[in-house]
Amino acid sequence: MKYRSQAVARPYFIAAIGLFLAQIVFGVILGIQYVVGDFLFPEIPFNVARMVHTNTLIVWILMGFMGAAYYLIPEETERELYSPLLAHVMFWVFLAAAALTVAGYLIVPYARLAELTGNDILPTMGREFLEQPTITKVGIVIVALAFLFNIGMTVLKGRKTAVSLVMLIGLLGLALLFLFSFYNPTNLVLDKYYWWWVVHLWVEGVWELILGSMLAFVLIKTTGVDREVVEKWLYVIIAMALITGLVGTGHHYFWIGAPEYWQWWGSIFSALEPLPFFMMTVFAFNMVNQRRRNHPNRAAVLWALGTSVLAFIGAGVWGFLHTLAPVNFYTHGSQITAAHGHMAFFGAYVLINITMISYAMPLLNGREANSMRSQVLEMWSFWLMSVSMVFITLFLTGAGILQVFLQRFTDTPLPFMVVQEKIALFYWLRLISGLVFLGGLVVYITSFFVAARDARQGIAPVAKDAELAPVNP
Amino acid sequence: MAQVFTKSMARNIFYGGSVFFVLLFLALTLDTSLTLPERDQRHQLDPSTEVGQRIAEGKRLWEHNNCIGCHTLLGEGAYFAPELGNVYTRFGNNKEAIKAFIQSRPAYGIPGRRSMPRFNFSDAELDAIAEFLKYSSEINTAGWPPNKQG
Amino acid sequence: MTATIATHQDRYPPGDLAIWIFILAELAVFAIFFAAYAFARMGDVALFDHYQATLDKDAALLNSLALITGSYCVVRALAAMREDHRAASVRWLIAALGMGTLFLVVKSLEYAHHLAAGVRLSTNTFYMFYLSLTFFHFMHVIMGMVILAAVAWKAHRGGYSAREHTGMETGGVYWHMVDLVWLILFPLVYVMR
Repeated sequence: MKYRSQAVARPYFIAAIGLFLAQIVFGVILGIQYVVGDFLFPEIPFNVARMVHTNTLIVWILMGFMGAAYYLIPEETERELYSPLLAHVMFWVFLAAAALTVAGYLIVPYARLAELTGNDILPTMGREFLEQPTITKVGIVIVALAFLFNIGMTVLKGRKTAVSLVMLIGLLGLALLFLFSFYNPTNLVLDKYYWWWVVHLWVEGVWELILGSMLAFVLIKTTGVDREVVEKWLYVIIAMALITGLVGTGHHYFWIGAPEYWQWWGSIFSALEPLPFFMMTVFAFNMVNQRRRNHPNRAAVLWALGTSVLAFIGAGVWGFLHTLAPVNFYTHGSQITAAHGHMAFFGAYVLINITMISYAMPLLNGREANSMRSQVLEMWSFWLMSVSMVFITLFLTGAGILQVFLQRFTDTPLPFMVVQEKIALFYWLRLISGLVFLGGLVVYITSFFVAARDARQGIAPVAKDAELAPVNP
Repeated sequence: MAQVFTKSMARNIFYGGSVFFVLLFLALTLDTSLTLPERDQRHQLDPSTEVGQRIAEGKRLWEHNNCIGCHTLLGEGAYFAPELGNVYTRFGNNKEAIKAFIQSRPAYGIPGRRSMPRFNFSDAELDAIAEFLKYSSEINTAGWPPNKQG
Repeated sequence: MTATIATHQDRYPPGDLAIWIFILAELAVFAIFFAAYAFARMGDVALFDHYQATLDKDAALLNSLALITGSYCVVRALAAMREDHRAASVRWLIAALGMGTLFLVVKSLEYAHHLAAGVRLSTNTFYMFYLSLTFFHFMHVIMGMVILAAVAWKAHRGGYSAREHTGMETGGVYWHMVDLVWLILFPLVYVMR
């Protein structure tokens, strides 16, 4: 940690991991409800558990992004944060808003929550991922504005690097696009059309900028490769991301009432969306191979490489699998979609946040890297979570393929619920994988406590000095 | 081999490419906005008509009860319960059948199985929901879903 | 990836490598678009042939000549810069911009004609492809002109020399791509039956 104000990132990271745990616990509940339909019914119906699962995911990823920005912006701009106090205050505002919202989901029926929060004044609730009460959405906007002001002022006054500028553009886009969540006309087609401007243009647009800059930052720090080289890659990758991703929005416009030419535009451009992710994989491995130093935090490097690979498989390959209109006609809104969603979110946004946390947390705690024991635990958790997520994805894909053939691609289509029972075996297998994932997360959290204890006992991060010798002298 | 690959060129491509594709996307959106009236059944939504008011109320109830948290509507939402974009046609173009189904849900579920919660809607509210689902089924969705099972 | 200052003779490909990555991606998009056109045409040859006849081939031919001439101007601009004839180089670039403008005017007249006839993206599959492909290319011409204008401005201010003019090569390479795409698009959409 080079600048004192970077310390404000710490609570953001801790809260992010806490919410991550909540997300996964509710994910397991959902997994059980898929096979034991009345589990926790009617206390926590599926839709409530799902809201908690997806909303905590979004909030913790945003928390992670903010923490990452507070950590890397001072280092990139080479000056203290404009206002650490504002960052602290906003952390508590954001956390309180998130906690109150989740409590609201769990304590009162959703319709009552809508009433209590005055949703009729400005109706924004009840749409997938945007279920938050309108006042929570307003709160998110306020937090985002204060955050952008803080980060923006810091960048403005300090050194301007590609990493910090790209991050700032990504965050700015994130905040601006969120404003479309306030647009909710009765016209269902318009509602859906612009709903995607939040959802798609976030995850397949501006979030990729944030992801790219975070990955670039960690790779600069851990490999010691020349900044010029890394930043060139960064620009080319995010250029490709926006070039393919913007018009790629069209792959959501095939069957919601939008004109049919979107089937061509959407298919053509989203077919190229794997390209930036593929470049990201090549980039990450290239940088690590050309490294000028062996950073003692090997776990962070593993997370970074894992991000690039799993983002490519999840977002790139699994996205391409069902993005062409003739295929999507049969797979739209099936378990294939769920499979892609899980792998893509995990590979791209969960892993990049853990990469950042894994790199920055030891430094925030005053050491370059954690003890080897702690890092080994982290690596175990990486493999446990990644492999179990691969299996979750494969099982959901299996379920989805069967669903498509029984319910849609057939002359004798069966009703939805009949098909669900026929494919229950895959849901059981998915649930088992989900439990392994939860185990992996517990191992990850444990690694922090092991690191703290080893640090107190003065155990050094790397056992053998020889391993620190430069690879490419 | 001597090679030039400058950061400023990569940056220019990023800015230029982004602006280019934002404009292209907006141009396509403009055309979409002009074409949508032929496809989205907006004539039904006129708030001065009774049907228009019912649809608006139906969408409000749809949102206030977070139906999207289990169902899909035009293929978007959760994948836990059946698609409802075409439920009107699946139920034989019959609003009463939709209403009857919603009313018949047991308050404490069905042991071991998925069941829709009991919502205790008034008759007017049920009418509104059915009207909204009817309107959804009449949107021109390019032939999706492939069959009536959704 | 060491950036070295090299003279134009010993470097291949010319221009900045970044633009080549970009051009490859662009050509991939166009290639998929062309393949999609061919695929869609197979499904309904009669419709495609019928509506192809409504296009103005003369205007498209004129536009092809405008773009080829534009490319020639860019080549001359580069040749002039290699001899350090800065003023001549700028004049050739302005001529290329003139050709680009001619293209835009002619194409706009074509669009005006079709729009007046009520043709939209949703009219039928042929017009969808015709409008999509040509408009996507149209935007590329504008993009190419913005780049050439920036290059011309920099040349005018003395930003390039016989020794170092990578930027001009880069802009030229992009312009040639725009030209090349049109030379495939023109026969494919306007002529081939």
